[in-house]
Amino acid sequence: MEEFYSASAAEADALTDADVVDSSAEMEEVVPKKKERKPINQQKLQDNLWGWIFCAPLIIGTVWFVYSAFVMALMLSFTNYDMSTNLSLGTVLGNLGKYAYKASTIDPETGIAIPVGSGDALHWYKEVFTHTIMLDKTYPANEMGLHLFNTVFYMIGIPIGMILSMFFAVCMSRDIKGGNVFRVLYYIPCVASTISIVYTFRIMFSTDGVMNKLFGGISLNWLNPVNPLTWNIVTGSQTPNAFMDSTYWCQGLVSKAVIVIMSVWKGLGGTIILYVAGLSGVNAATKEAAQIDGANGWQIFWKVMMPDLYPTIFYNIVTSVIGGMQIYMEPVLLCGEQINTSGYVSLVYRYGLNSDKMSVRNPSAGAAYGMVLAVMIFVMTLFQFWLDSRKED
Amino acid sequence: MKEKEKKELEELQSQVPETEVAEAAPEAAPEAAPETAETKPEYSKFRYAWGACLAFFGISSKTHRASKKRAKLVLDIATYIVLIFGAFIMVYPFWWMIAGSFAFTSSNASGSATTLTSLVWWPSLNTFNAGETGIHPFYNYAIVFTKGLQNPETGTQIFASNFNYWRAVGNNLFYSIVPVVVGVITSASAAFAFAKIEWIGRNQVFFFLLAAIMVPGPSIMAAQYAMYAAIGFTNSWLVMVIPGLFGSIMTAFFIRQFLFGMPTSIIEAAKIDGAGYFRIFCQFILPLAMPAIMAQGLLSFMGCWNNYVGSFIFIDPTNEWINLPHAMTIMDSNTTATDKAPVIAASVVCIIPVLILFGAFQKTIIGSLMLTGSKE
Repeated sequence: MEEFYSASAAEADALTDADVVDSSAEMEEVVPKKKERKPINQQKLQDNLWGWIFCAPLIIGTVWFVYSAFVMALMLSFTNYDMSTNLSLGTVLGNLGKYAYKASTIDPETGIAIPVGSGDALHWYKEVFTHTIMLDKTYPANEMGLHLFNTVFYMIGIPIGMILSMFFAVCMSRDIKGGNVFRVLYYIPCVASTISIVYTFRIMFSTDGVMNKLFGGISLNWLNPVNPLTWNIVTGSQTPNAFMDSTYWCQGLVSKAVIVIMSVWKGLGGTIILYVAGLSGVNAATKEAAQIDGANGWQIFWKVMMPDLYPTIFYNIVTSVIGGMQIYMEPVLLCGEQINTSGYVSLVYRYGLNSDKMSVRNPSAGAAYGMVLAVMIFVMTLFQFWLDSRKED
Repeated sequence: MKEKEKKELEELQSQVPETEVAEAAPEAAPEAAPETAETKPEYSKFRYAWGACLAFFGISSKTHRASKKRAKLVLDIATYIVLIFGAFIMVYPFWWMIAGSFAFTSSNASGSATTLTSLVWWPSLNTFNAGETGIHPFYNYAIVFTKGLQNPETGTQIFASNFNYWRAVGNNLFYSIVPVVVGVITSASAAFAFAKIEWIGRNQVFFFLLAAIMVPGPSIMAAQYAMYAAIGFTNSWLVMVIPGLFGSIMTAFFIRQFLFGMPTSIIEAAKIDGAGYFRIFCQFILPLAMPAIMAQGLLSFMGCWNNYVGSFIFIDPTNEWINLPHAMTIMDSNTTATDKAPVIAASVVCIIPVLILFGAFQKTIIGSLMLTGSKE
């Protein structure tokens, strides 16, 4: 910012540059100030005026729906603002110190929560990391850990999808007729509604569905998370095994596999188009030169095409990881809210926004879960960019 | 893949002059290959036959050299087989969906009904030959639009008002057309300002907006809910329309990329002729950037059409302002596990408009995706 100020001040007619920047989107202030001084550069005035006017809707929208919501989420996460209270949102946000989270008891007469004890602003964050649930009413487990495990498990789909889409992209970018047709066909799942696809896959992967027929008439129950190690996939009978039943991480592996298959299938087309675009940008002359020097197809792929494709692949990985951390709808719609299939985001929904399971919506809890998610995604993205910068050294 | 690469390798080797190969071989492994360049090695008859076989498929070996043309042909056929197989996997669920929407699954007077789980190509008992009175080929679709949102046991409407599936379709059209049309224009205006106007604070504002992409949607979901509830947006059309009117950052970003490639001289000429920026935007930028605007508009239309999460979070399932995917889930929860054909018909209804749009504008959409290198 400072650099920008000094640079613009150096210009002869840099009238109120600094003021303009400070007064952000408020055009009303800019115009009169400009008119006070002389000489007026009409063209510059017009540029600044219309620049801000054209951008105003987008700026207002972003500030209103993204940034203010983000700041509100941060503030709310220290309070206990649930939708049953009569407090307005503004009151809570205006008196954060007063409305910081406090343990409370329900008044039996009025049914209103009465705060007791001193404030505990970090309550929800502690809750996020330490909330324990009982598996089978016996085994205590960290809820966040289990959900994060599921979320990370679904990321297996990222490398699988990358390899598959790279393979198809290389096939499509060969000099064959009808490559465009395939590109369109492969992109269809990307534009289709997730709900429709989930309802289709749910029946296709049912116990006597198409998929089991394809695998030779087995009766595997793909979407009912039971332990695959005690599950006889041919007869469908289940042998109880106390130890295996207690290892929750391997329960629901089959359902997770379905979700991975579905997300890979749905996302393949977009990545293929990305890679086809990248491959068409590979320098043909370099490829020819490598061919003449006796490089084989494999070598050309790794040594000539890959370096050119690297930015595309990096972009794809970054966006896939960001998207993968936010997986929510697919597991919930396919398997329901299950501890061994739901992703992390379903915690945001379950604690913050669900009026069925919790008695009231509590945006404070949801905001805390969301803030932790935002930090995780941010750290992962930074880590990837750090890896990227190391690679160039 | 491996096979293909091997073929390419063989093809490349066949280009190298023979003397070179013969010289290189003993150098690389003198013990394993005692033959010199002069004595031509003897191969068994089986090896010759195998070499001829490979050559037929375009693979050169020590005994036979395949023609390059043949190798290309074989490789092309292999590529087609792989791509058609992949395309089949990509398209089959949609075929299954369409076939399933014609299955007759509701139990009827004669007790005959098909279950969708056994469906592979075409339902054994479909609405074309169900043989019941009052059952026409589009029976499941009719069920969706007449009884879709009724309680199956009591037959009463889930919604207080006279609400049927058409209302959800109408809502969804409203939610997808109004915010997209207005939003794309506001995005384009911002893109114009970023690409073609020099104004103070331009770069700062651009990075300020770009940084907003980093904020993940689910992390601000709860606060957004609180905010929308406080200003009365929830449980009405406002929440699905108003945020979209202000444009989207990614759309603005891609249209900006497109505008960078446009000559500035047009704008300069218009300015000299006395056109203001508003007029330049309406008469030059909008028509000239139409391909990019169309593509981004279509993509956001598809995004809005399929936007389940927004309706799911901000609108109660008993409210009349739910959108189409949300109505689908409500309908699904009201059907029995054995009678899912109407749900599949509803899925088809949800997909068809998007598919038609995509089919009609696939060139614009795919072209824009290839140009901008985005994924959605």
